[in-house]
Amino acid sequence: MIDGLHMGMTALAASSNFNDYKPSINDFMPPEILFQGTPFAINRIILVRILATIIMLLVLGITAARAKLVPGRWQGAVEWLIDFVRNDIVYQVMGEVRGKRYVPMVTTVFLTLLVFNLCGEIPGFNIAASATITLPLVFAMWCFCQYWIAGVREKGLGRFLRDELFPKGVPWPVYILLAPIQLLELLIIRPFSLTIRLFANMVSGHLILALCLGATQYFLVAVVNKVLAPFGVLTFAAGMFMYLFEILVACLQAYIFAILTTAYINMSYPEVD
Amino acid sequence: MFVMAEEKSGVDLFIPELYDIVWSLIILIIVAVFFYKFFLPKFQSIFDERAAKIEGGMAKAEQAQKEAEEAKKKYQAQLSTARVEASKIRDDARAEASHIIADARSRAETEAAQITANAERSVESQQQKAMVQLKGEVGTIATQLAGKILGSELSSQSVQSDMIDKMLADMEQGAK
Repeated sequence: MIDGLHMGMTALAASSNFNDYKPSINDFMPPEILFQGTPFAINRIILVRILATIIMLLVLGITAARAKLVPGRWQGAVEWLIDFVRNDIVYQVMGEVRGKRYVPMVTTVFLTLLVFNLCGEIPGFNIAASATITLPLVFAMWCFCQYWIAGVREKGLGRFLRDELFPKGVPWPVYILLAPIQLLELLIIRPFSLTIRLFANMVSGHLILALCLGATQYFLVAVVNKVLAPFGVLTFAAGMFMYLFEILVACLQAYIFAILTTAYINMSYPEVD
Repeated sequence: MFVMAEEKSGVDLFIPELYDIVWSLIILIIVAVFFYKFFLPKFQSIFDERAAKIEGGMAKAEQAQKEAEEAKKKYQAQLSTARVEASKIRDDARAEASHIIADARSRAETEAAQITANAERSVESQQQKAMVQLKGEVGTIATQLAGKILGSELSSQSVQSDMIDKMLADMEQGAK
């Protein structure tokens, strides 16, 4: 690990080849640095993920342990987040009676993804902890299990499938086409759209941001011929903009993931309560 | 290039690694347990406690207001009874005063009447005493006069008139 970092640094410092400043998809498949070859192998992204988890649990855990009846500013902010998830995501989509059961799940999904997504904008981490296909996939599979369980529990497997595959008010020949699509939707499209939306956003965000800042480093600092320095200023401005934009995207994607999770689960419930 | 020996293809991005699945699951479970078992229940209890306290405070304030209103009503009632009582006392006093005055007047009148009566009685008795005295004196004078008439001769006109004058003078003296 140290060797790799060291080599990387010297290579960066010495190189005047633009390719060395370009981000690549290899950033999302970094080499294993601990427990190589075992199921517990850790690479750079997983290290970021573990650190982000520890920090989040510490910060929120201490906040909860010290929570007072009259909240301070920080506690007020955390409470605002909890209220936001409960009222503006869960209760707004499902209503209070149905939603109560899912508040902890959606809170977990939203806050965890928010922190993980924001890791991409934290200096030193520089990559979202959710920037591998697996993490969004695991969260999506949780959602998948929840909406299947909810559907089977509320309607029974037969009625759940009938309602989903043969929606009412459609002329019967259309079912030939519609039923397989609906099944596909239920089994594959929902979880994978959740997964890929989040993952692709994290990947593209990192690539664009790293490209802007890498170009800035190359044109302003690394290259010997400074003719293109103004272009470096431009890429720096773009990098600043992208940085702020990626913060927005990180929050937005956590929100979208949470609200879609809620919506998918809600779809498994009978229409009229 | 350094470190990275092989350039990976884009498709590799979408193939989950076993260790990645393991770590994602471990972290998801830890995080979920944290939120389910500690973080949210803790904040829920804080929210509940806060709501209870706010409601309790509101109830307490309401009760305090009710009590204050009751006290005010009681106070006003007391004030009005006190006022009534005071006016009653004043009326009583006034009545008593007029009673006392009337009493005094009647007593004075009685006394005055008594005094008048006494005076009248004493005047009457003096008059009676004077009458009795006069009667006695008239008798004496009449006797003397008769003695004189009998004792001296009525010789002359002058003696006669002298006698009459003398008698009259005596009478006058007696009357005095």
